This record gives sequence, structure tokens and C-alpha cells, in this order.
Amino acid sequence: MMKFLTSLFLGAALLAAPVHAQNQPLRIIIDEGVIEPMPFAVPDFVPDSPAAADYAREITRVVASDLTGTGLFREIPSDAFISPVSSFEASVQFADWKAINAQALVTGAVNVSGNRLSVRFRVWDVFSGAELGDGLQFAGTVDGWRRMAHKVADQVYSRITGEGPYFDSRVAFVSESGPKDQRRKRLAIMDYDGANVQYLTDSSSIVLAPRFSPTGDRLLYTSYETGSPRIYVLDVNSVKRQVLPTQEGTMSFAPRFSPDGKTVLYSLAQGGNTDLWRMDISTGNSVRLTSAPSIETAPSYSPDGSQIVFESDRSGTPQLYIMPANGGEATRISFGKGRYGTPVWSPRGDLIAFTKQSKGRFHIGVMRIDGSEERLLTASFLDEGPTWSPNGRVIMFTRETQGASGRSTLYSVDISGRNLRPVRTPDGGSDPSWSPLLN
Amino acid sequence: MDTGTKISAIAHVTLIGWALIGGTFRSEPLPFEVQDVSVISAEEYAALFAPKPAPEVSDTPATLDEPPKQEDEAAVPEQTEVEQPRPETIAPSEPETEELPEAVVETPDPDVVEEVPALDQPEPDIAALPVPPGAKPKPRPAEKVAPQPVAPPPPEVKPDDVETPPVSTEQGAETPREEQEQTAPEEATDQIVTEAEQSNELAPDRSPRPPAQRPRRPEPAQTAEAEEAKPATDDAVRDALAEALGEAQNEQPAPSGPPLTGGEKDALRIAVSNCWNVGSLSTEALKTTVVVAVAMNRDGTPVIDSIRMVDSSGGSSGAAQQAFGAARRAIIRCGAKGYNLPADKYGQWQNIEMTFNPERMRIK
Repeated sequence: MMKFLTSLFLGAALLAAPVHAQNQPLRIIIDEGVIEPMPFAVPDFVPDSPAAADYAREITRVVASDLTGTGLFREIPSDAFISPVSSFEASVQFADWKAINAQALVTGAVNVSGNRLSVRFRVWDVFSGAELGDGLQFAGTVDGWRRMAHKVADQVYSRITGEGPYFDSRVAFVSESGPKDQRRKRLAIMDYDGANVQYLTDSSSIVLAPRFSPTGDRLLYTSYETGSPRIYVLDVNSVKRQVLPTQEGTMSFAPRFSPDGKTVLYSLAQGGNTDLWRMDISTGNSVRLTSAPSIETAPSYSPDGSQIVFESDRSGTPQLYIMPANGGEATRISFGKGRYGTPVWSPRGDLIAFTKQSKGRFHIGVMRIDGSEERLLTASFLDEGPTWSPNGRVIMFTRETQGASGRSTLYSVDISGRNLRPVRTPDGGSDPSWSPLLN
Repeated sequence: MDTGTKISAIAHVTLIGWALIGGTFRSEPLPFEVQDVSVISAEEYAALFAPKPAPEVSDTPATLDEPPKQEDEAAVPEQTEVEQPRPETIAPSEPETEELPEAVVETPDPDVVEEVPALDQPEPDIAALPVPPGAKPKPRPAEKVAPQPVAPPPPEVKPDDVETPPVSTEQGAETPREEQEQTAPEEATDQIVTEAEQSNELAPDRSPRPPAQRPRRPEPAQTAEAEEAKPATDDAVRDALAEALGEAQNEQPAPSGPPLTGGEKDALRIAVSNCWNVGSLSTEALKTTVVVAVAMNRDGTPVIDSIRMVDSSGGSSGAAQQAFGAARRAIIRCGAKGYNLPADKYGQWQNIEMTFNPERMRIK
């Protein structure tokens, strides 16, 4: 009887239950937001000793500069800080950082022992009161403090945005000085942000279009030192170089490494026609990939090495085409009004950067690999020669100003079209090539 | 079973049966409308429908009021010696740094402060400048991209060059009014303006090719309805059993009130949108939709510890975490002072699920 009564009572309760089970969550959809730099704070890293004070301050400044240079972050000036960070081990007073709207906080410390320097740091999500990732430490010699700062910034950047790192990388470019009609060009290499410029060649002959190998230890470039353009391979560390074999009476230019670094794509001009060729670096054997009567040039591999995007005027005007890596039928992907050139495949594989000339203006743009969603990012008298950052988020290119006193300058721009900014170099700069991330 | 128990059982069964069938849980009769009907005479009817003289028509068209515009919603490191002694070359000889694989610093106990700082809740970004009818708005470059463009604030007023002779207080001069700083909403544009788009004259021609077909947007109405239409059997059973067993006797049910109006929901949506900053998200995270659940306090502030991601789609787990981080910051920041929600409907918004879909932001 008791079981019967219990069942009956529960049944009654079940029937009555829907009356009380009415608190479903309120559901709303947010599909509009804002796009603005994220405010962050990076108090000066704490030196473990007086000898580390200068390094701590400089490393902090480089980290802050890297982050703000992306255009995705806005540094909160130290004047606004409520609580100073005097100890790396001390707990973070999140309320003080929330009060000044710091959404991310970077704390760090620097230790110097003899010729050794170490940097340890943490990244905090202020509004959740939690650490983003684990604390990390980099160590090296004191001369490498700048690279360590870039590595710290890379970690912070990646943890907050989810993008791959790119600060610890270098850029090869052609340093230009003198007036336009007597311009002296030297091959140079620098940190991605324009610091530590080193020259790899003298200015006795014209050099063009340096291109990093996938491992970043070699450079391809074109030199006119024999009177006609020829392709050289330069070892970045030893600065030793060798010329790639070529046929008599031909001109070779626009070289680019394959993703495995074993072959080189290049253009070869012979008898008034220019086609694409591929050379095995170890043997020097070349294979012809195109044989059209038009001009084919500026080849670039897809990241997986299966396809090549290049420029051709086979339709009457320079346009972009994609073909299999071993040659074959090419598919046109650019259909806008104007002339397209210098295509470069993104390291992510999803976009192609290019130069476009239209209505007397030059643009750097990106499009999907099927040619859709073309988007022009810049516009000026002369923009050309895009190169991708290692993470595929930023493009660097050459901008030249008009007139006899016009100057070539390197610029970078986010693929969204925001954060267009010059890259400071001692002299003018052109033909940038972004290295892969350093080891 | 003794007679008393039998009588008691029969009485209880009768009582419960009466309660279930007899009317306690009987639903109320459906509401119906009642209209008054009055009887009129034939004369009154004829007079009512008698032909009337045509109204005078003016040759001059009257000015119509413009319909009101609907505003958009708005490890201890192993310090391996890695020296890079570069020979005498002109190449850069940078010492290598070595990334250590594990965290090297013990995590101090973070002093988590659950109090939400008093942040000013920004007003919805609404353009203050009138837009001439028919004129195509020209996008301006601005650091902030928001749903609604905001004109830059007017330049600061410069001091007058004309010197005003000082007036002594003895002459009965008025007490100078305290200066107040004029505030204006932060300048914003409603789309990313690239250099190539800043000038119409120099703007390049667009590719005539149609853009790739985008994935279909989720259909919020259907989803919501479908979710709401799901029988909450499990919850109902659990609640009923809990109540039957007396587990929740001390809990006072929150006043639910009527459902939130569209305007109330929009106000909440706009409030969160104003703090949802996707500017620092990766391109993959910008393709990831996350559903975030949050419990709310009665004062309209979110319970920070309750914020959790209940679903994600369109990206990797890493991208989902990035997207969730941005969503969580938005909920906390703009809810610091409490969202403007009706207190008498607390039961309706005690728990909220927000779907953050960045698709429209990705194509800004």
C-alpha cells in the first residue's frame, strides 16, 4: 500500500512538475561587435640585479613595441598604473588592472649572470583573473636580448590572439641609396621591425628580388654583375654564394624556392619569350614548365608544393594563373580590370597576395586561391612586391614615391587592410622577403 | 491492513483524484473577446450610409511627414648553452636563444577579485550627425570599428585672442562657472576602411566575379524555437522528484513575470555588443561561433564564475577558446554595472545563453 501511495504521489508530482520547470535560459544572438585594439599593460620587467636593469627596461619596450605594432593592441601608459609590479612572484592585483581597463597584463623579470641573460614572464587575462598559458623563460647570451624580447612578444601575441608568431623573424631586402638615376643597391638583412640591419653585398652591381629559403639559411637573388641578370644562391651565415647554371644567351630572374628547398622556380627569357622553369639545385638540371608565346613570370609555390601561381599576359594583359607544380593546364584566377602581377601564396595556403595596377594607381591586394573575394589593401603611386609574414597575417611590400627624388620605402599592412605603417630602415628599401620564424 | 488505514487510503485517493480530475489543475477557460452590440433603427441606418459630398481636393500636394527612420542596432629551465659564435662575416651574428619547453615559474595563487570594477557602460554608438537623404555614406578610417559609425568630436575650442580685462570681485562680478569637460563618444567607423577605399576617385574597380558563397547563417528564430519546443522532460522529472522529496522546500522561486519584450532583449544584445571586441581575434577565431551560458545576479551583473562555453562551431578548439575569451570579456566588462534588465522578470533572464556569431564582423 505504501508503494502504491508513493507512486501515486510521485505521479501527481510529475504531472505538476511542468508548472515549475519554466526557467529556460534566455537566448540571444550577438552578431555585431567592435573592432578596436585591445588595451594591455606591460609594466617594466623586474630586474633581479642592478646589472639587469637596463636589459629589463629595453626588453619591456621591445615587447610593447611588437604588440602595439600589430595594430591589434593598445598599450596603457605606465602613468595610469595603480599598483606597481615590484616582484615577479607577487600575486597580481587584478582589481587595479581592471580599473584602468587593462584586458591583458604581461609581467616579467630579467636575470643577468655574466654573459648569460634570462627572461621569464607571465601573461594574464585580467577580466577572468587567470593566467593565459604557463610562465615561460628564455635564456641566451646578453647580445641576444632583442631576440629574447621578440620571443616573449611572440608568446604573448599567440596566447591572446590565437595567431601564429612572427616577431622573431628577419627580412631580406634591397637597400637603396642615392638619387633615382644613380641608385646604389645592396642586399641587406634585418630584424622584422627594421632593427639590426646588416649588408650582405656591396653596391658595385644591381641586385634584385632576394628570396629566403624555407629554412631561412639561404637567399636567392638576381644580380646584374655580369651585365645580364643571373640568379645567385647566398648562404646567409657564411655569406658565400654561387651562381646557378644557365644557358648561354638567356636571362634568368624572378627565382623562388620550393617548399622543400630542393628546387628553384625561375623565369628564363630567350628569343623574346619568357617562360617558367624549374631547377634542381643539387644537379643544376632544369625543366621547362610553360611553353606559351606569352610572358610567364613571377612564380610562387603553394605551401604544399602542389601548385604554382604565376603572372602571364597570355590573355592580352598581365593576369594571375594557377597550374600544377609539374606544369600543365593553367587556370586564370584574376578577372578584375587592371594588370595583376607578383603573386605570392600565403603560408597558410588560403590567400594570394598580388600587385595590381589600375587607373594609374598601384595596389597591394589579396584574393582567395580561386580568385574570389579580391580585396585591395593599399593605393599609391607605386606599391609592389608583397611578401608574407611567417604566420600569414601581415604583408610587407615596397612603396615608391613620385618624382626624381622619389624614395623607396618598406611598408607593412595587416591583411584586413588596417595598420598600414612604414618599416624604418637606414636608407631606402625595396623587394622585401620575409624569413620563416627563426629557430 | 486495518480499517482505519483503508479508510485513510480511500480518502487520500479520493482527494488526490479530485485534485487531479476535479478542477484544481484544470486549466482556465480560453479567453474570448466580448463586443458590445447596439440595435439601431432603419432611419438611423439609412442616415449612416447616405451619400456624402466628395471632399475637396487641393491642387497643391501636401507635404508628407517623413516616416521615422528606424535606427539600426545600433619549468626549471635547462639552460642549454647555445652559443652562436659567428665567424668574421658581415652576416648578423646573433646569439641564439633557446625556448625552454616547460614552465619554469611556479604559479602564485592569483588574487582573484570577483568584484567587477565600476566601468562606465558605453552608450550605444549612434551617429550624431544628420545624413542628407540619398547621400551614400562615405566610410572614414577610424581606429574603432563599431556597428554604428560615430563622427569625430568637434575640435576643441581655441581661446579667444581678444584679452578680456580682469574684473575684480569687488565690482560685483559673477562667480565664474566651473568648467566642464565636454565628452563625446569615441570616434568609430562601421567598417574597416583600407587605404584603397579612402578615395572614391581613386578607388579601384571591383572584381566582377561574385564572391564565394558564404555559409548560411544560423537561423536564430528556428533554433530558439526548437530549443524552447524541446520538452524539458528530464528537468521536469528531476524538479518534480526533488520537490516531491522536499529537497527544494526552502528555495523561493524567482518571480518570472512575462517574457522579455523585443526591446528589452535588444537592449541587452546591444549592451553586450558594445564590449564584444573581435579586433584581436585570429582569422580562424573569427570564423568560430560560440554559445556562452551565464547566470545573472538580481542586480543585472553576471556571475563571473558561471560563464562557460556550452557549444562552438566553425573552428578548432583553440580558436573556440579564443572566441570564448573575447565573449567572456564582453559579458564581464559591459555587465560590470549591471545590465538594464527588468527586475520583475528576473526569472526570465536568471540564466542567459548568448550566441556570439562573428560572421558579420569578419567581412567588415
